[in-house]
Formats: sequence, C-alpha cells, structure tokens
Amino acid sequence: MKFKTLNLPGRLAALLLALLPLAARGAGQLNLFGWSEYVPQPVLEGFTRETGIKVNFETYSSNEEMLAKLVAGGGRYDLVQPSDYTAEAMIRRKLLQPLDRARLAGLGNLAPEFTGRAHDPEGRYTVPYMSGSVGIVVNTEKVKTPVRGYREVFQAAHRDRIVVVNDSRELVSWALYALGQPVNTVDAASLARVRPLLAEWIKLVKVFDSDSPKTALLNGDVDLGVVWSGEAALLWRENRKFQYILPAEGAHQFVDVLAIPAGARNVAEAHRFIDYILRPEVSRQISAAFPYTNPNLAARRLLTPDELANPASYPQGGKLESFRDIGRAAADIDRLVTDLKSAK
Amino acid sequence: MTPEPVARDPGARPGTLAWLLLAPLLAWLALFVVVPALLLLGCSLGERDEFGQVLWGFSLENYARLLDPVYLRIFLRSLGFAALTTGLCLLIGYPVAYHLARAAPRVRELLLLLVMVPFWTSFLVRTYAWMAILREEGLLNALVAWLQPAWAPLGLLYTPAAVVTGLVYSYLPFLILPVYASVEKLDGALIEAAHDLGAGPWRVFPTVILPLTLPGIAAGVTLVFVPAVAMFAVTDLLGGARVPLIGNVIQNQFLQARDWPFGAALGVALLGLFLVSQLVLRALRPRGALRG
Amino acid sequence: MAAPPPSLLSPAAGSRLLQAGLRGWTGLVLLFLYLPVIVLAVYSFNSARLGVAWEGFSGRWYAELLHQAPLQRAALNSLVVATATTLLSVVLGTSGAWLLHRYRFPGRDLIESLVNLPMVMPEILLGISLLILFALAGVGLGFITVIIGHVTFSFPFVLVAVRARLQGLDPALEEAARDLGATPWGAFRHVILPALRPAILAGGLMAFLLSWDELIVTYFTTSAASATLPLKVFGLAKVGLNPVLNALSALFLLVTLAGVAFAAYLRRGAR
Repeated sequence: MKFKTLNLPGRLAALLLALLPLAARGAGQLNLFGWSEYVPQPVLEGFTRETGIKVNFETYSSNEEMLAKLVAGGGRYDLVQPSDYTAEAMIRRKLLQPLDRARLAGLGNLAPEFTGRAHDPEGRYTVPYMSGSVGIVVNTEKVKTPVRGYREVFQAAHRDRIVVVNDSRELVSWALYALGQPVNTVDAASLARVRPLLAEWIKLVKVFDSDSPKTALLNGDVDLGVVWSGEAALLWRENRKFQYILPAEGAHQFVDVLAIPAGARNVAEAHRFIDYILRPEVSRQISAAFPYTNPNLAARRLLTPDELANPASYPQGGKLESFRDIGRAAADIDRLVTDLKSAK
Repeated sequence: MTPEPVARDPGARPGTLAWLLLAPLLAWLALFVVVPALLLLGCSLGERDEFGQVLWGFSLENYARLLDPVYLRIFLRSLGFAALTTGLCLLIGYPVAYHLARAAPRVRELLLLLVMVPFWTSFLVRTYAWMAILREEGLLNALVAWLQPAWAPLGLLYTPAAVVTGLVYSYLPFLILPVYASVEKLDGALIEAAHDLGAGPWRVFPTVILPLTLPGIAAGVTLVFVPAVAMFAVTDLLGGARVPLIGNVIQNQFLQARDWPFGAALGVALLGLFLVSQLVLRALRPRGALRG
Repeated sequence: MAAPPPSLLSPAAGSRLLQAGLRGWTGLVLLFLYLPVIVLAVYSFNSARLGVAWEGFSGRWYAELLHQAPLQRAALNSLVVATATTLLSVVLGTSGAWLLHRYRFPGRDLIESLVNLPMVMPEILLGISLLILFALAGVGLGFITVIIGHVTFSFPFVLVAVRARLQGLDPALEEAARDLGATPWGAFRHVILPALRPAILAGGLMAFLLSWDELIVTYFTTSAASATLPLKVFGLAKVGLNPVLNALSALFLLVTLAGVAFAAYLRRGAR
C-alpha cells in the first residue's frame, strides 16, 4: 500500500502504527513509580547509560495515590518509593517482595540509624532512599518574634500569613503534639480533643499546599509555615532569611524507601537500580537536587560544608518520631479536617 | 454486501447492516460506560477495610453519610461556585461568540482558532501563570501600585475571586464554541425581516436572536457547569485549598483518605444530580428548540 | 477590512455602535485569554530557577528543553494517544450520530442518555471506574487502556456536534441521491459525509484538544511507558513554577500560532 494513495485519516493511522513500537519498546527496562521530582533526571540517565536498562518513570504525589493504583492491580511496577509507614502497611499486606540483599553491595553505606527501623526491622523489604522531617520555616525578615513550636506559629498575629502542607494526618499530628498526645494511636477520643484547637488553627492558614509550599513563601504571599524539610532547605539555599526550626513539641520524621512490589517483572533490573542509588556519588547527586537528609553516610562525606550546614537538611536536636500505619483512623482524620475547613 | 432496502422516512427501523454498524457504538457504551458506572455504584454500596481496600457488599451507610450537613454544605457551595462561573462565562462569552459568528467568513474561523490557541498549553501551566499575575508582588498589583501608589497591595491570590477567575478562564471556550455554532446557523433573513418590521437591535435580540440561540446556550451552560462543579485543581492552586469543594472531597476520598466507597457514593450523588437536572431541562425545553 | 461583515442589524446608528462595542469586547476578552500565556512566554526567558522575580534575560530553558528526553518521549506518547483518540472518536461519533439520526429502534433514547454520561462524569470517577474495570478484567495498563479512556470521554463530543449538523440537514438530500441510483453507502459517502465535514472537523478538533490536555483519566489508566505529556508536566509543575515548562508551553503556542497562520495563508491561496 502506497502512502500517497491513503486518504488523510488513513495516513494518520499509518503514522500512528509506525510510532507505536517507538513509544513502547520491550526488553531491558525498569518501571519506576516514584514521588514527583524526587529522582533527578541525570541519575536516571546515568543508570541507563551504564546498564542499558531503560527507565520508565511514572510519578505520584502522595502515598495514597500510589496505593490507589498499585492495590487496584492496574499498574505493573518494578520499583516503588513509599514512605516508611506506608511500606509497613504494604509489607503486612504482602504487597512487597523480599529483597535479595546479596545483590545490594552498597547497603553498607547506610547510616545505622536508618536501617532496622520499625517499619521493616530486619531490612528485608526496603532500602532507605531519603529522609526528612516536617518543621517550621520562618521568613525572619517579616517575623521578628521567636517561633519555637506549633503554638507560636498558629497565632492570631499570623492570620493569613501561614502556609502548611495540605495533608490531614500532618495537621492532626501537630495538634496532637501541641496537646502532648501520642500521634500514632488515633481514636475518636483523641480526635475530639484536638478538634477545638485545630479549628482555631485552620482559620489562620492562608495556603494549604503539599506540592510546593515553598512557592507561597518565596513569592512573599505568606511569612511562615509548617512544611517538608526539603522545601525549607531549598528556601534556605535561595535566601538565608528562611530559617528552619524543629517544633519543640515534637516533629514527624519520615524515611522514604525503595521497595519491589510483589508482582514486579523486572526484579533483577530493580535490584541493579537500588544498588546504583546506594553508590555514594549517585546518592550525592540526589542530595544536590533535593536537599533532604541523606541516609547514605558515604554520600554525606561528599557533600560540601555548605550543604551539611543547611539546618533543614541536617537539623540539630529536636524530638523526631516516625509515623506508624493507623489503618481506618485515616478516614476519620480526613473527615475531621474536611469538616473544619468547610466550617470556615 | 447486500444492498439495504431504501428507507425513505428518517425514522426507519435499522436493518442487519445498520445494526452491524451500530454494534461498535453499543459495545463501547456497554463496556466502557455502563459497566464502569455499575462498578462505581457497586463500590458505593461497599465498605472500606482497615487498609483502604474495597469490601464489596450492600450497605447504604455511605449514602447516609452524605446527609451530614458538612457534605450538604460543600455540595451547595460547589453548586454556587459553578453557577457563578457559568453566569460569568455566559455574560463574557456570548457577545464574543455572537461577534465571531457574524464576522466575515474569512476572519470568522481565524478568530475562532485564535480563541482556542491558548488552550493548547497545559491547564496547569496556565494556572501557574495566573498565580504569577495575581500574587502579592505580581503583575496586577504592580499595575495597581503604578496607578494608585497609595494603595496597599491587594491580596488577590488564594481567594474565592481568584478561584472564579481561574474557572471562568478555563471554561470560557466551552461556552463560546456551542453558542458560536448556533449563532452561525441563524438565518440572516429572519433578522432582516425583524428589522424591516421596524424592530431595532435592542428589540431583535431578546425577541428573535436569544430564543433561536437557546440550544447553543443550553449546550454551553452544560459544558461549563458540569465540569466546574467537580473541578479541584484550580480551586487548590488559586484558592490555596482553603475551602473544600465537592471535587476536592471526592478526590480526597480516593487519593488521601482511601475511602473509595464513600468517594463513589459522593460521585453517584453528583451524577444523579446531573441526570435529574438534565431531565428537568429536557422537560422544560420546548420540543422545537430541541430540534435546533 | 475587505468585506464588511453582513450587518444583520438595521443600518440605524445604534447598530454601528453595537458593532463597535462587540468588537471592543471581543478584543478585551482575547486579551484576557492571552494574558496568562503572554506572561508565561515572557517568564520562559527569565533566568531565575525558583522564584517569579525577574532576574535577567536568558535562553537557557530552551536549551535545557533539548536535553529533556523524558519530556520529548511524553510528547510523542501524547501525540500517539491524541491522534488515535481523535480517529476512533470521529469514526465512533460520526457513525453513531448518523445511525441514531437515521433510524428509530427500541432503546434509542436510552443510548442517547448513555452517550451524555461520560460528558457529565467527573474525570476522577471515570478514571477510577475504568481502573477497577481493567483490574477486574486483568487487562494490563498501557497505550490501549489510555486510548480507551480518552475515546470514552471524547467521542460524545463528536457525536453531539455531528448530530446537531444532521438535524439541520435537508432530509431530501439523501433521498435525491438514492433516486439517482446511489447505494446507501454511496449516498452516505458522497452526499452526507461532505455535508458533515465542518461538524466532524470541529468535533475531531475538540476530541484532540481534550485528549491532549487530559490528566486524571490518563493517570488512572496509564503505565509508566505510556505516560503522556500532561502527566509529566503535572509531576514537574507540582514542585513549583518550572521555567522549562514555560519554555515548552511557549514553544507549543508558537507552533500552534504558526499552524493557524499557515492555515489562514492556505485559505487565502485557495480563494
């Protein structure tokens, strides 16, 4: 069939058929399902250059989003990047497969405090990727009073000058910390206790943004907030007026891990990728792009003094705590926050 | 291929060949519209387990939850936002559509394309551009400062006004296109006749033009109102996610709280609302206008 | 202007005023429509990476665009998906519209209501319900599932547009063709189809645009290998205003505007 003899739709169809194999090639690939913008492009390219394995990178912006797709059985991924408490639930549900630790030569590079944590005590299923905390960031040019904890953030004086991450569990846990309650055993009684306090706080907030809370701060639309430490680190790098403070009442520390889903097809490729990430010079690249806390000690040695001095990446002191899976209470938390927000 | 007997009246019953041609449409509707809709309905009758997986079953609990005043208020607020957006789109878009459709044929399609061009960029990037315009140190405040140096910068971003601006911007073409199509079909002679009978432009519009373009308006209003009710990205970005709308709540059930059955129930309720309003619209519309 | 628009309003002074008003209003609305895209085009030359403050003129984001292999691949994927969606939507929508218009049979009203359903269904519900369906049926996600999702919400737009055109068509047209000895297919192919051309074009354009910018249904039906441009853009945009995205959008605008100009040029040539 000559191309010329086809009419326009026919020609488009032919073009399409020609393009399809180009867009979806087979062998030697890795389907990575990770957080939006958490794996730098040069790292993916370096891996492909060295191994010849093509990386298909698909992103999500919350653990729940990833689970939604993974649990429904739709996505066929070889490597996922859950946070510790989500990984814990996934292990319990048999959604992850054990790693072959013999294939991961770089495991020794990890700092001991990031291995054998509660979500995976024997390190059978997960390898830490990056860690961080949720803390207070203050534009010290605008806010002159000292801010040490959540209660000092949420004051009438800061009405409409506050940005917080748009995450119901985080919001509720700050109120729980402020009231001295445990954050990992949430029930109707503890939610009833935080309700009045949280109602006050939510009225003061100008922006809820989980994806890029730094934007509102950088643009001067707000003066302080409670955000991911990586966002705060980027702000500090941009301008030293943005100070990061770990809340005195206690703060959430998260470890995002790499893990292989139970149904993965390219298991060998997934292991090679994890081991590639564990290399100091590769992990160092990730730190440069996303200045969270690097759990890789060998990589940390390659950082500049300036990077190590970033108070948001490597905070001093502070009471840090991991989240645990809270099961059904997650829905109650969401309902409480929806209720309080819409009451405004 | 056996030739079909000629069916002269347009209401003929389909023969074998016509049924064969209809088959792909019917199959598509059954497989990808009816079955998913039923799955959604089934899901809304189920329950969420500890981990957030759907336990299929039969319980009306999720529908009972809908009656909680919190969600009723959110429903009403969403409808209000969508109605305001639709009204503004109509006010802003109708004159444009009219002008475009009445322009010389050569410029007409060019102008229409010009209206569509901005929408080839991702709506997210456009929304971010609006943020750059509306923020405290943004373009609009720079203009205000230049015109009225004494004024304090306006806090425009992260307000309901910003949300409505974003919504009107996103949906304006969906109103302009159908109204344009119905104005273009208007018989010029009809309007001439009205003029010859001594009616000025201000009389002709409400008595002749408006009734004749009603089908276009109805289509445009539906195309704007329906997606505006369920929108969540614009409200999050331009409104600072402060006031939840129904789209945000549905989104949250699926992607945050992982309560799919309740999310499905909210969705079924929303769809039910649309279907009822469509039936009401159809009942209200005169038969003639339907043929448009 | 070469040919003044056929003034439908009486030559009274009021009508000229109205004309001027309409023209001015259209201009203002076009300004409103173009304001954000002009802003992003300007910002695509801003050298600042994070902020929106102007830090100097730079073309580096365009240079960086050349090295963004994933973005390029996603654009290719989008093109494949949008083209396939448009073709399928046009076939399904046009044939459906003609058959629904031409024939009367039990369940016809029901089918018409069902066609409307995907148009009023919020994207997230369509996406989730299709994901449940594909998971239950054991269908692996990829190009096919994305295209199915896109066609489902796109073809009704084609169908509705073509249907509206058919209703305005003279029924005698087909009859005349048949009287002259045309087969039903021949009558459709040579008489009806050309008359439907503008509606098919408009519907097809709509389908292409809807597919090109669709995010949520795609999210739930895609695999990593078939991720489309809006998905990539979403991932990038989530971490803040990204100058590379501004450059990409500005480039798209330029290409589209060039396309429009070319079409206008061709039309002038044809006359």
